[in-house]
Order: sequence, then C-alpha cells, then structure tokens
Amino acid sequence: MEKKFDPTDYKMKSGLEVHHQILTERKLFCRCPAGLYSTEHDTEILRHMRPTLSELGEYDGTALMEFKTKKEVIYLLNRESICTYEMDDTPPFPINQEAVDIAIEIALMLNCKIVGEVHIARKQYLDGSIPAGFQRTTIIGVDGWVPYKDRKIKVIQLALEEDACREVSDVGHTITFRTDRLSMPLIEVVTAPDMKTPDEVADVGRIIGDVLRVTGKVRRGIGSVRQDVNVSIEGGERVEIKGVPRIPDFPPLVLNEAYRQHKLLNIRDFLTECVADKDDFKAEIFDLSDIQGRIRHRLIKKAVERRGAALKGVALRQVKGLLAMETQPELTFAHELSERVRVIACLDQLPNLLHTEDVSVTGLEPEDLDLINKAMNLADEDTGVLTWGSAEDAQTAAQEIIIRVQEAFDGIPNETRQARKDGLTDFERILPGPDRMYPDTDSPPTALDSERIARIQKGLQPKPWDIEKEYLSKGIPRHQSKRLALHPRRTYFDRIINEYDIKPKFAAWVLIDLCKHLKRQGVLLEELNDDHWNKFAELVADKRIFREGIATLITYMADHPEEDPDDFLAAHHITPLDEASLETAVLKIAGEHKGIKLQDEQNWHEVLMGFVMKEIKGCARGELIWETVQRQPR
Amino acid sequence: MEKEGLKGYRGAAKEKLISLKARVWGDVVVDTSRGEFRGIILPRSETADDQHIVLKLHNGYNIGLHIETVNKIEELGYRKAHYKIPEKSFPIDPDKPKVTLFGTGGTIASRLDYRTGAVIPAFSPGELYGAVPELVDVCNLNTIKLYGEFSENIGREHWIGVAKAIAEAIEDGADGIVVGHGTDTMHHTAAALTFMVQDSPVPIIIVGSQRSSDRPSSDAALNLINACRAAGYGEIAEVLVCMFGPTSDQYDLLHRGTRVRKMHSSYRSTFRTIGERPMAMVSTSEYVPLRDDYRRRRKDNLKVKLTPVFDDRVSIVYYYPNMKPDIIDSLVDNGYKGIVIAGTGLGHVNRPLYPSLKRAYEAGVHIYMTVQTLWGYVQMFVYDTGRDILDLGVVPLDNMLPEVAYVKLGWALGQTHERDEVKDIMLTPIADEITAREPIDGYLVMQGGLPEVKEFFKSYKR
Ligand SMILES: [Zn+2]
Repeated sequence: MEKKFDPTDYKMKSGLEVHHQILTERKLFCRCPAGLYSTEHDTEILRHMRPTLSELGEYDGTALMEFKTKKEVIYLLNRESICTYEMDDTPPFPINQEAVDIAIEIALMLNCKIVGEVHIARKQYLDGSIPAGFQRTTIIGVDGWVPYKDRKIKVIQLALEEDACREVSDVGHTITFRTDRLSMPLIEVVTAPDMKTPDEVADVGRIIGDVLRVTGKVRRGIGSVRQDVNVSIEGGERVEIKGVPRIPDFPPLVLNEAYRQHKLLNIRDFLTECVADKDDFKAEIFDLSDIQGRIRHRLIKKAVERRGAALKGVALRQVKGLLAMETQPELTFAHELSERVRVIACLDQLPNLLHTEDVSVTGLEPEDLDLINKAMNLADEDTGVLTWGSAEDAQTAAQEIIIRVQEAFDGIPNETRQARKDGLTDFERILPGPDRMYPDTDSPPTALDSERIARIQKGLQPKPWDIEKEYLSKGIPRHQSKRLALHPRRTYFDRIINEYDIKPKFAAWVLIDLCKHLKRQGVLLEELNDDHWNKFAELVADKRIFREGIATLITYMADHPEEDPDDFLAAHHITPLDEASLETAVLKIAGEHKGIKLQDEQNWHEVLMGFVMKEIKGCARGELIWETVQRQPR
Repeated sequence: MEKEGLKGYRGAAKEKLISLKARVWGDVVVDTSRGEFRGIILPRSETADDQHIVLKLHNGYNIGLHIETVNKIEELGYRKAHYKIPEKSFPIDPDKPKVTLFGTGGTIASRLDYRTGAVIPAFSPGELYGAVPELVDVCNLNTIKLYGEFSENIGREHWIGVAKAIAEAIEDGADGIVVGHGTDTMHHTAAALTFMVQDSPVPIIIVGSQRSSDRPSSDAALNLINACRAAGYGEIAEVLVCMFGPTSDQYDLLHRGTRVRKMHSSYRSTFRTIGERPMAMVSTSEYVPLRDDYRRRRKDNLKVKLTPVFDDRVSIVYYYPNMKPDIIDSLVDNGYKGIVIAGTGLGHVNRPLYPSLKRAYEAGVHIYMTVQTLWGYVQMFVYDTGRDILDLGVVPLDNMLPEVAYVKLGWALGQTHERDEVKDIMLTPIADEITAREPIDGYLVMQGGLPEVKEFFKSYKR
C-alpha cells in the first residue's frame, strides 16, 4: 500500500450494519427451538433459485447474475432444529412476540422512534442462503442515534429479521447449506455512513455491541454477531464488506477498501486515456479450441487433457497495462476479473485465468504468447485473457470478464465483498437494488400499541454512556467508568457503594483493576459469592483492613471460601492500629532490626518499611505507616 | 379522485387522511407523537384495521403509523406507481407443437407490485415469455383467459366453460392443452374435465403453483414448463394434473385426473395419486411414463366426446360419530338430488341415520358410499351394518375418492335422473375413478422415525 494513503484525504465515509441474534426460546416465524446447532442431518433437499421480475418488469442485476451461476442449492435438514416452515413448505406462523419485545427494547436503547404497526417484508436473496429465496424482515424503529465523541452517529433503522443458513461448501455449481440457524431471530442495526476513519468504524461497532449486551437479551458466542461494513470514498460507490465477525478486523478492511476504491478510480482514468469513451471500447471472445492442444502452460495443459476443458480467449483492445494495475496491496486488476469468473462462472479452481500481461514465472510462456497473439489478433496495445472450463462456464467467464472491464470505465461497481484473513477482500456479489424488497402477503400487520412501548421503556436498562457519565461524576477514572458501565456486576457494585461507607473510586479500583490483577495471578475469584463480598465490604468500611492488605485478604477468601475472614485477620495479626499503637509497633520492629548492616545508610527507612509491612500490612493506611517509619532514627 | 387518493382506507384512518389533506402515493413527512417518519403513503389492505396509515420508507420497508399518534402530514411530492408486465412477442417456431393455455384464475406466472404486494398476473404469451423465457424452447403458445377466479370459487359453470373451450381448441388443431388453475380445487376440476371431455386426441394438463412466482423458490415456472412439455410432447392423451413430485426441485408428476388429490395444505409436492401409481414423471429433460395403460395421442379424428353438463344439487356428507339424521333430512328437504357419503372404515354410518337415508331414497335421492380413509375400497358385506345400509338403497362406489364421486354424481345427474342409468354411469369407470385392483405399491405413506425410513430418508435426499 502507498505509504501515506490516508482515507480522510479522499473523504471516506463508512457505515455499519450489525446483525446480532437475540435470546429467544423459539425461532421468529415458527415454533422451532432457537440456538440448537448440530452438524448432523437427517436428509437433504435440492432447490434452485429463480429471479423474479422487478418493479420495471425486468430482472434485477443481482438476480440475473445469481441466475447465471445456475447453482444447485442443497439444504441439510436436521429434524430437531427445523420444521417445514424453514423448508418453505409451510407458511409463517404469527411473529414471535418475545422477539418483538426484545427488538423494541433495543430500538429504544438506540433512541429509535418506534413504528405504530409492524409490516413484514420479504428481502430477496438468490444466493440460496434462505430456501424461500427471501428473508422475512420488519422495521421496529427508525431514526435513532448513539453518542460518539462530540457527535451523534445516526442509527437509520432497527429491523427484526430471521437468520439465514450456514454455508457448508460452495464447489462448482453446487452450494450446500446447513439449516439449523435458519429463521433464528436477529436484530439488524444500520448506521448512517457517519464514520470518517477506519478506527471510528471499530469504535462505533464497539458502542453498538455494548448497548446490545447491556440488555442481556442478545446471544453470545461464535456466530451470534455478524457485521457488514460499508465504505465509499469521494467519487466512489458504496461497497459492502459482508459478515465481518471481529471488530478489530474493521480498520484494516475499511482502510483497504478505501484504498481499493482510490485505485479503481485511477484505473478508470487510465481506461479513459486508452479509450476515450466506454462505448468505443472493444472486446472479443475467441473460441480457442483449435490451439488449445498446443498451449504448453501446465495449467491449461492439465485442464484440457485431463478434464476436457474448453479454452476461451478474451481480447481487450487498446487497454494494455490494465491487468497489471494495482487494486489492493499485492493484487492487480486481474484479481478483480478472476473473482468474477470464480463467482459467476463457478470456475473456482484458482488460478482460473491467465493473461498476456503476466510476465512472472507462472505466466504464459513466449511460445504460448505467440500462439495466443496470433489467434486473437492481439496488437501491441491489446491485452488478452485466457479462461477455461466446461464450454458453457468458459463462455460465461469470458462474457463476465468483458462486463467487469466495462464496469471499470465507470469506476467502482456496487458490490458486496467478503473479507479475507489478510485484511483484503474478494468479490461476493453485486449489491442488490431496492427492488428486492416487497411486502410479505403471508403475514398480517401487527400494531405496537403505546402501552406496550411504555411498559418496555419502563424496564429499560440505563444506557452505557449515561452510566459512564454517572460514574465519572463520582470521581471514578474514565477507563474504570467505561468498564464498570458494562460490567456484569454493575448493579452489585452500585449497592455496595450505597450501603457501605466505601469510596466509589476505591471500590472501582478493587472491582476493575485489582480483580483483573488477581485473576491473572490465578486467584479463583469465581469462588467468591455475594456473602463474601459483603463481608469484605464490611471489613473495608469498618477500617479493619487497609488498601495494602486487601490483595492478601481477597486471595485468602478465594482460597478458603468456607472459612471466616476474621480468623485470617486474627491469625495474621491484622487488626486496625490507632496512631499510638502503630508508633509502638514500628518502634518495636525498628529495635529488632537496629543491628542490620546496610550498604548504604541512606536506605534505612526503606529497609525498615519492608520489615514493618511484612508484619502489619493492612493494619493501617500505608501512608500513615510510612510517616511513622520515617520518624524512626537509625 | 378522492376514492383513488384514499385507496383501501376506511373509517377513522380515512377521515384522518382527509382531515390532514393527505393522499395515497404522497411522498410525505409524518409528524407523530413517536417522532417523525418519512415515506410514501401506500394503499391499505381492505382487510386491515382502520386505525393505521401505511408508509413505504425509502429503504423499501413498509410500516404502519397509528392515527392517534399522527399530528401532521406534509406532502413533499407525489409518486404514483403504474405496474405492467412488459409484452415481448412470443416467437413462433413451426417445428414446435402448438399448446393452448387456458387461464381460470390461479396465477402461474405473475409479477409483484413491490409496494403493495399485490400480484399482477402474467398471462398473455408475451407476458409469459417475459416471465418464463424458457417456454419459447418448448412450444408455440396460445393463451386464452377464461376466468379470473380463485380456486375456491371455481364450480359448475367454469367446468362446463373450460370443457367446451378445450373441445373447441382441440378441434382447431392444438397439440396439447394446458389449464392454469388454483391448486385448492384443482383435483375437482381435473375430475370434472375427465368426465366432460372424453376420448381426447391430445393431452389435457392442469397446472398451478403452490408457491407463487413472485418468490425465487417458486414452483410455478418449473410446473408451467413441464406442463407445456407434457401437453406438447407427452404421449398420454388424458386429463392429467402436473405438479411437483418430490420435495426438491426435480421433476413433476402427471396424475390421472380422477385419482389425484391435494394432500397437504402447503407443500409443493402436495398432489398425490391415491391408490395407484402416478402416470409419468416429467422434467425439463425427460418424460418417463410410469404406467403403460393410458390413452395414446392420436393425429386423426380430432373430435372429443364432450358432455358438458352438471347438476349441482349434490352434496358430500362426511360422516362423524353422533351425526344426527336431520343432516340428511335437511338435504332432502332442500331439494338435493344426490348424496355422496364419506363413511367410516369400510363405508359405515350410525344406525340413527337409517330412517333418514330410507326417506331420502324414497324421495328419489341418489345415495352413494365412499370411504373417508381415501385409500381402500368400500366393503359393505363384511359387517351387518354394511348390509343394512345397502338395503336402504345406498350404492357402494368401491375405491372412488369422495370428491371424485361428488363430481361424477353431479355430472351423471346432469344427464339423467333415472336411478339405474345414474347407477350405471357411476359404476362404469371412465378413467380409473374405480379401479379393479389396488396395486401393492398404491398405498405408501411412510412413517418417520422407523429405522428403515430413517435410512431411506437419509439416502434418498429428495
Ligand atoms: Zn421451524
């Protein structure tokens, strides 16, 4: 990547779609149990997805593309986790009201306006991920916000929808899905593209995740949350990176996509220099069956000889240099072509194309180049691409290559892309148009009356950013306030600082920092229940133990959960000392160690402090002990 | 203007719209006590309440707003939608068979009004070509819209009308007939056409869809393509129902019109041949007859034997325990001429009904016995009760399905009321409505959970 590529220079905008499964007993439109995953299946069925006519009576672009791929879709069915509803052989049952309640609660947490009546919509998916070919989805709230820095990030909508299948494999013309997750309720939070840097996207992702978790009504664990990140730069197009599970992955992906768009705009400029007008661009497909037997390149040789593949050539006139232009770090425009061929023509054995601009060792050999140049009449400024597969697939591939180059004249195609492990992205599909949404005629509208919303509003958890503010005002440092706001023991914490004479700042230190430290040291804090902690709070409030002795006390309690901490204090002579007793105790210890030899006499007080703390740590405040020690002469 | 502007709205919601000077298709900002909402006002479904206004948001979703929360509506624009299916001229290929498609109302192909969800049927050849382009590779299509009725509203007059239209099309040289039909009563119509249009030289295929064509997983296109193939190329010149065979998208089955029944309220593969095997499997690449006892396509003599009559003073009485004789009495008193009983077990009803049945018989009513088990034969000699019922003049119909018996009795009574003639028509099978024997693979209803079925289920995968 160029060293100083800064997406803010290109007015990058990014938005998020957070999909989070919610915690219900049953699925959204049928009575199957939610959250019952299994890798076993009882049988399977086969379906094909067929595009439906769009509003203008034509097939929508995505739809047509998916149809081109002619996929056989296999669904693996487990009788415990799905019924005939998920198979699309039974109409929907009335929407799960438990799920609607949770969605309303989350919508309110996100400051959304709640709709008066829920209308179920069908959102078309032709990739097979839903057997019906559409997902049932509904808007619960619109136009909300979450606070970020000194501004509000707009939440466009909160939808309640059914989850899709889990993909098992996608090989050639067969895609296989497991159906257990299908139709589990999830909420979708869509933000406006209000984030301006890659890091902001991650920050906002965390804030939304926090709000959802605060409700305690979302599912946890692998697969329960999936996020789509959309990115565009000035002059670019909205591109969606699908299904990113981890928030730390956002920034590199966003940065890379902004970079890709920047590069594609460069490519657009390059193309308009080569060919003034998109309409003047010429490309031809060649059936290379006559020469395919003479090509030496091992990939083609193998495909032709062993698999009987057909070789097709695409001549891209006057655009030499295009395929070697960078699009993502270490990737060139040829990768964009290869990806289309992989997805649309189902030629998924990579590499699935070779081209005349590849001068590397894996590229075409000079003898091959001669043959190809001749067969396709390639002039100096032309580029040739070869692709192979079954005659039909190779033809689809060749056509798709031309389509992708034509799109490059316009800049950036509207796409959904999938994240790779290395932070780069691969093509997934064309971003569907608005035509894919239409009313579900199987489901009646349901009113959300004001009493219901008021009831949910009343039981609402405080919002994490409000709690954080509250803690800050109590003098708790920011990093602890943030943690506390989302802490599972937060309500217990509040009770402790209200019921006992303990400084909030001190309690926060114990709960957040000290506990973390002790946990790392292997102390089994989970042994401690509320009674233990109450006792602990009592000891602290009564000043029977001081800061310096606390770690030892908690460790003792965790190690001996059955025993009385008072015994421990007694055994270790941890009893609070008033100033006079402290003076006496220190004096005594100083006397015992008078004879000690020191390398540097200046260190006397430090050394003495060590001896003192060993014996009376926790019996008085550390500062007081230090003062007392400092008064002791050598 | 006002009517169109408030489409579907009534009562309080309508008044609200009027009072706020808002209208359907208005691109509006609605100020409510729950906040502000932007979108286009949609027509409201007539069956929905009068308390909400429907808005299409700009993200494609629809929502409702309760009128009590609405304070103000400001119209920013007006976007009325017009929906039409594009017509493309259907190419004619002299080498392909001529298929005539009759429409009765079920939508085999349709387009959706994306805003309201209303289904706009595609029906003319041009529209169908746009919706199911593969048809061009199958046949030359001629379409005639006869009715626009939901399946449940199809009855006597439609059966007669379709039968006459079919006869005419066949005489005009059609190589095959397809009838588009809603699925709920498809098997009634299939039986009616079997009786009314006999001795056809070409296939008469009835087709529909269980999942409308507005969804990607629809069975409509596949059913239609296969029906056109069965009509244009198939060898079986009979009235057949063409619907999904297995659960998966694989092939359709052709069922004889008198032995077929809708067996599931929503499955795609809902149509099953009862007590026999289906006639054939048909897919986009194959046509595989499963039996050889069928009437073959013929090129000469294009005349059919047309008997388009039906007396609808016939009822089916589905017997249940505790049935009171007044059920029978009221039918007689209301002028019914035929009663088909769907009896229990081998064909029984309780003793209290006997006097009423006797009375009905004496009043000239034709009474026939079928079984509500659907599979199996009426056998009234096994028990005394059966013999008693026979003595009352009730005629057993062997393994004729109750719905088929209903249709056939109406058709017979359309021709004669002479008791023996009616009986003769009823007991002389035309197309297997009564079969001489039940084959050993005629009753296959598997039960889940059994080890062998589990095994089958796992390996069959369809
Ligand atoms: Zn289910």
